[in-house]
Amino acid sequence: MSARAAQTVRTYDLYLLGAGLFLAGFGLVMVLSASAIMAEKFWHDKLHFFSRQGVAMIIGLLAMVFCAVVPRGFFYRLTYLWLLLAAGLLLATVFTPLGLTVNGAKRWLALGPFTFQPLEAVKVALVLYLGYFFAAKQDRVKRFSIGFLPPLLVTGAFAGVLLLQPDFGGAAMLCMILFLMCLVGGTRLTYLAASALLVLGAGAMLIIHSPYRFRRLFAFLDPFKDAQNVGYQLVQSLYAFGAGRLTGVGLGAGSQKLFFLPEAHNDFLMAVVGEETGFIGVSLVLVLIAILLWRAFVITARQAELRDRFTACGLTCVLGLGFILNLAVVLGTVPPKGVPMPFMSYGGSQIIMSFVCLGILLNLSRREAGR
Amino acid sequence: MARQMRQPKDRSRLMLAVIAGGFALALFGLWLRAGWVQLVQGERLAGLARRQHLAAEFERGERGVILDRSGRVLAKSVRFTSVYARPVEIEDAGRTAAELAQVLEQPMKPLTAQLKSTKNFVWIERQIDDKAAARLKDKDLKGIYLTTEYGRLYPNGHLAGQLLGFANIDGQGIEGLERAYESVLAGKTAEFVVQRDASGRRLYLDAHGREVDIDGDAIRLTLDGHVQDLAEAALAEAVVKGRARWGSCLVVEVESGEVLALASYPFFNPNVKAKVDPASWRNRPATDVFEPGSTMKPFVVSAALQEKVVRPENVYFCENGKWRYSGKTIRDDVHHYDWLTVNKIIRYSSNIGAAKIGLDLGARKYHQYLSALGFGQKTALDMPGESPGFLRPPERWYPIDLAAASFGQSVGVTLLQMAEAYLCLASDGLRKPLRLVLDPAPELPAPVRVFSPEVARTMRAMMLEVVEADGTGQHLRIPGVPMAAKTGTAQKASPQGGYGDKHVASFAAFIPGDAPKYLILAVIDEPGPVYYGGVVAGPVVRQVGVNLLAYKGRLPDTGLVAAAPAPAGAGGEGAGLEEPVARVQPAAVAAGSVPDVTGLSLRKAVEVLAAKGVVPRLEGTGGLVGKQNPAPGSAWPAAGEDMFTLWLTS
Repeated sequence: MSARAAQTVRTYDLYLLGAGLFLAGFGLVMVLSASAIMAEKFWHDKLHFFSRQGVAMIIGLLAMVFCAVVPRGFFYRLTYLWLLLAAGLLLATVFTPLGLTVNGAKRWLALGPFTFQPLEAVKVALVLYLGYFFAAKQDRVKRFSIGFLPPLLVTGAFAGVLLLQPDFGGAAMLCMILFLMCLVGGTRLTYLAASALLVLGAGAMLIIHSPYRFRRLFAFLDPFKDAQNVGYQLVQSLYAFGAGRLTGVGLGAGSQKLFFLPEAHNDFLMAVVGEETGFIGVSLVLVLIAILLWRAFVITARQAELRDRFTACGLTCVLGLGFILNLAVVLGTVPPKGVPMPFMSYGGSQIIMSFVCLGILLNLSRREAGR
Repeated sequence: MARQMRQPKDRSRLMLAVIAGGFALALFGLWLRAGWVQLVQGERLAGLARRQHLAAEFERGERGVILDRSGRVLAKSVRFTSVYARPVEIEDAGRTAAELAQVLEQPMKPLTAQLKSTKNFVWIERQIDDKAAARLKDKDLKGIYLTTEYGRLYPNGHLAGQLLGFANIDGQGIEGLERAYESVLAGKTAEFVVQRDASGRRLYLDAHGREVDIDGDAIRLTLDGHVQDLAEAALAEAVVKGRARWGSCLVVEVESGEVLALASYPFFNPNVKAKVDPASWRNRPATDVFEPGSTMKPFVVSAALQEKVVRPENVYFCENGKWRYSGKTIRDDVHHYDWLTVNKIIRYSSNIGAAKIGLDLGARKYHQYLSALGFGQKTALDMPGESPGFLRPPERWYPIDLAAASFGQSVGVTLLQMAEAYLCLASDGLRKPLRLVLDPAPELPAPVRVFSPEVARTMRAMMLEVVEADGTGQHLRIPGVPMAAKTGTAQKASPQGGYGDKHVASFAAFIPGDAPKYLILAVIDEPGPVYYGGVVAGPVVRQVGVNLLAYKGRLPDTGLVAAAPAPAGAGGEGAGLEEPVARVQPAAVAAGSVPDVTGLSLRKAVEVLAAKGVVPRLEGTGGLVGKQNPAPGSAWPAAGEDMFTLWLTS
């Protein structure tokens, strides 16, 4: 029995699992370090965020195990249900009183004592849908009205609702997922190139019509010019990274999280990692991310079924884009948008859905190994 | 079918490789970026971060309080709200200015100009009242901010005003103790700041994220608010009545050297410093140098006794009041004497006698004693603006200088120096530093022996004769309490050279004179037309002494006071004597119940209560008692209960 169980475990991709668990564990420690003082002050409980993150992680791990062992039909047969469910949650945040307004944006859904960010679920549901779509319509995918328009409309609808929240970063992320899945799914490159041009054109219009917004968007290029205002968060993030140097100031000893760096335990957690564990710690996180993505791509490439492959590809993109966009923001290379670090940043929705992605990928890795 | 399937699979595999490559490139790029930020720019960014921590939105702690010896608050910080604007954030300067003008009752024009400036920060008004602050908060004008600042409040008005000095609007000590103890009192600046939580509490953290206390420390003075008040009242009366320029009075507890009162008149109220002449905030006992006159004589005589140049019973020929010496004439102006023993030279304050003793002692020796007593140097108190006085080196003393210095001319002293020198005589010849601050305990120089105990006692016995025998202070006797004292009346050097018709009157006394507990000194500058130390300055010392003894419960039975002889001396000085007689025993009160002190002057009321061993708590300001608790006729509060309260009105 135990030998069989061990055999079963071994059929999963353990590198993928290990990388994910290490990231989550390290993230949990850093959340404690980044949030303890702030939590003590505002909640009179040093462990306020830490314990919540811990609970989310346990739920996430359970969800991961479930997703890893459940027959794939559970995802595939109910694709539209997931999509409708995600859409319902998203619409509820914007159009019902359940939506929670934080900092002028309605991105959270209040369900009793819990809050949930539907965007995280939307990403996974969209990937399941697109995976189904490109696999099912593979023979007609080159036709504009069948192969390109429907996914564009579905994604566009989600993105549109996200813009109402407003969540520009989330909308952009969905578009990027669509773009990457279209690439893999076989959409004509001319369509993709045309839509890319369209986006660029829209961007140009925006610049011409609203220079203020443009300035705000591109303040990241020289955050120090407006360090007290638009560039504040970024400057504080760079200070944190800079203060860390090679070896860091030591776990818990960072000072940027002391109210200088807003959202230190959240989107800017990597800045605290940078300050407290230095370039070495940042490199370690990057190595874990590289292992995780490498395994995810290997799993994706090994999928014989198109639907498996597209789904795996989409999940890989969800995680990969999350890692890259978050790092790019905290390191000041793209305009700052609220993108959490998968597995690491504080946030129950993010943690649980990251583990769900990991679970589905593990599920697919088993099937592939089982052949 | 198989071909159809393979083609999209191959393409998707290619695209996957492209995406993986893109991800890898992006991650590698971010890794390089992290290296650039952390390793190459790290030092610069770390420096900027540190600077931000140090210069971060500073928060100053509250300035420490100044307390008297019993914890009564002499100076404290109070929170004020101030308004500032960030003009860059203001969209409609005209409308904002109109709103501000209405609430703050300021003219529109300068406000509009301020709001239209290109600065990032301008003060609109500092220290506004609470009502205006609340209204501005409600209006929530864009670009207009309220902030909390600390202002300095001196709850007792002018009480010890010159000694306390004041702090400016930015919380920096500018004068007096506020300046001398800046390092203790000043609130520290928080390195890390921090927003406030919902309850408005502030949190200050040090470099390790620990909470720190950035409030300044309190200082507790040796001063006793009551004694200070007594001294100020007596001084004010004397300076006004004597038509003098100013006066100072100092009360010292002999055993500890602690200053109980350090008063100057005209008063200075640090709360309204903006409207007054800067001269009024001089802490004159420390800053002003005067030629003391005869109050200097005990030191030349003590030095001569110590050096065994004279003995108390030696006699000196006092030239019948006029002695031509070294081209100048030395006079004893009121009375003229022929032969006087040393004790009588002190008793009658003969200038000629003192000059002859000084000449017998010699310049070098006399100078040596004056230096040992602290003349010519700042005291250990080191008050802001304190003067070292004026003491020429002995090589440059002409014989006439030595003679003049023997009766206190041609040397310049501060009242603090006089106090330390007299304290030495009171402490049996041991020179002890004055103390002004109890907490934090200052480092004090060790006591130094200047005179032998016998010499000090001999001198005190001679000073006792000044009051208790037929000396220059005989009219100042306090019945039942012997007082040892010395009068001083000095001519002031005129700007034209030589001495003019202006005088400095001074008086120093030990109470009780045989075993001193308190040392009281007073100096009155340019009184007129009566200018004798015993007449102008003496009553101040006497009145303070009587009230101090009453307050300390050391005044002998009232019958003795009532039997006191009517005071001699000119200018209606008797007022200072009659008062205690009248007020020690309030009328028509059963011994076991609380007297009615309402309607009495504060001083009177305090004395009445002090006689019963009760120190009342005072509420409000003013000189009259408006209300009292417990009510008249009710039982005395139990011992130890600090429950007697007087409400004052003016």
